[in-house]
Amino acid sequence: MKFGLFYELQLPKPAGHPQWDPDDELKIYHDMLDQVELADSLGFDYVFEVEHHFLEEYSHSSAPEMMMAALSQRTKNIRLGHGIVLMPPGYNHPARVAERIAALDLLSNGRVEFGTGESASTMELGGFEVDRADKKAMWEECTREAANMMVQTPYQGYQGQFFSMPPRNVIPKPRQTPHPPLWVAASRRETTMLAARFGMGSLGFGFETPEELSERTDEYYRIIREECYPIGHAINAGLAVLTTFMMGKTDEEALERSANGPAFFSHSLGYYYNPITGGKHQPGEKNIYDSFLEANKKQNTLSAATGFVKEEDIRKDEPDEEVQRALYRAARSGTAVGTVDRVRDMLKTYEDNHLDVMIFVAQCGDRKHEHIMESIELFGKEILPEFKERHERDHTAWRAEQLAPVDFPINSSI
Amino acid sequence: MPRPDQVQDPELRNLFEQAQGSMKSGLANDAVQTLVDALHRLLELKPELASEQLEPRPGWKMHFLSRWPQLGANFVKGSLDKNEPEIEFVKENFALSEAITYYEFTLETAIKRGA
Repeated sequence: MKFGLFYELQLPKPAGHPQWDPDDELKIYHDMLDQVELADSLGFDYVFEVEHHFLEEYSHSSAPEMMMAALSQRTKNIRLGHGIVLMPPGYNHPARVAERIAALDLLSNGRVEFGTGESASTMELGGFEVDRADKKAMWEECTREAANMMVQTPYQGYQGQFFSMPPRNVIPKPRQTPHPPLWVAASRRETTMLAARFGMGSLGFGFETPEELSERTDEYYRIIREECYPIGHAINAGLAVLTTFMMGKTDEEALERSANGPAFFSHSLGYYYNPITGGKHQPGEKNIYDSFLEANKKQNTLSAATGFVKEEDIRKDEPDEEVQRALYRAARSGTAVGTVDRVRDMLKTYEDNHLDVMIFVAQCGDRKHEHIMESIELFGKEILPEFKERHERDHTAWRAEQLAPVDFPINSSI
Repeated sequence: MPRPDQVQDPELRNLFEQAQGSMKSGLANDAVQTLVDALHRLLELKPELASEQLEPRPGWKMHFLSRWPQLGANFVKGSLDKNEPEIEFVKENFALSEAITYYEFTLETAIKRGA
């Protein structure tokens, strides 16, 4: 199993204040540079950063290509993942996407992971006038053509349903051939299976359990072998899963440091993705952190107050509906929160179920930069080496066996 | 994980195999039409699905079938509330990714309900 960090660049407003302090955005951007630089030096494999627009407090990461370019110059080995690029052409013309991905791949000496997605929030779709009903079809058309642009010399042009362009040579071409590994954001099981059929990695944003993962892994790799019609020119076979992450010398310290992070992550995500609350958001006015604190007086979901809850007790109260379940898990079941022993044991359950990549949500809510740095360091020194060893020895062989019958180029970095 | 050979009803199984074949051939429109037929057959076999409710949060109910992907083969407005689900096509052309999404949802629902 490999490991990565995941960034939304969350920035809750100060409690009781209508706006942020002037240096708050400056700080989270530079904190992220420091955190990823440290993670790279310790051997973390990936960093993934989202693209979101207008989602105040939840995500201030609207131009991830800029952060990735900066990171390409401050890191040496860590792979730089878009998690994800919004592919409908109202957000990004596919030729501009192909150009930026290729340029970043050159700057980073071939370290780009090309994550793709379609977006779902009313604030974003409405802000760029992207039709919700067609966003999946747009994603498919633009992802396929962006991959073609990186491969064809010259790109032969395209007359499509959502964009058209005449033949042009889209330059530069990426360092990795035929193109960087392709991923798609998957918050539902259906999309993970779609990823398999299209030969893409699945960036699982559903906070899946090890049991669910086991079932999905079997089916995902079966589809890759038997029913795959690749959207790109190479298959990126890979399953990644998100989990919340914070470490401490004691479990109590880790919980205290985890603070309101996961609960705020879940609250603000639910706020924007609920068409009623997200659709009525008053830009520049609302303080979501205040409403989060108010809600938590009633629900008591803060990790420090709740303490560790047995997994079976967490599962017992889970919502039936998949998206609501993901929100619940994001807030309540901190898989990688605790001491070295606790975190190692929890991660081992995913490793035993053949997970390819575990991605940590460290930066969220009102967590402190110094605590995130200490957690990265502790994990990198105390846990990562043994997982790396087993990855090279066991998981690589398991993957080779799974993918042996595949008669198509594979360019996964896993 | 759901596969067509796990579907018990021969007619429904045949529809899933037909949809699978259409997807492999890149015929997304045909696949979506077949999957709408599969949904209708599933509702014949399991009529209780029409009124099945989920409770995502305490006190908040939603129709299970509101999870059916709204990608162009949508439920007629109000038909779920009457427990008489009716599909209308709001567009003519579907992408393969849309067909796959309908396929995965319908097949999983059928197998979980023992159809």
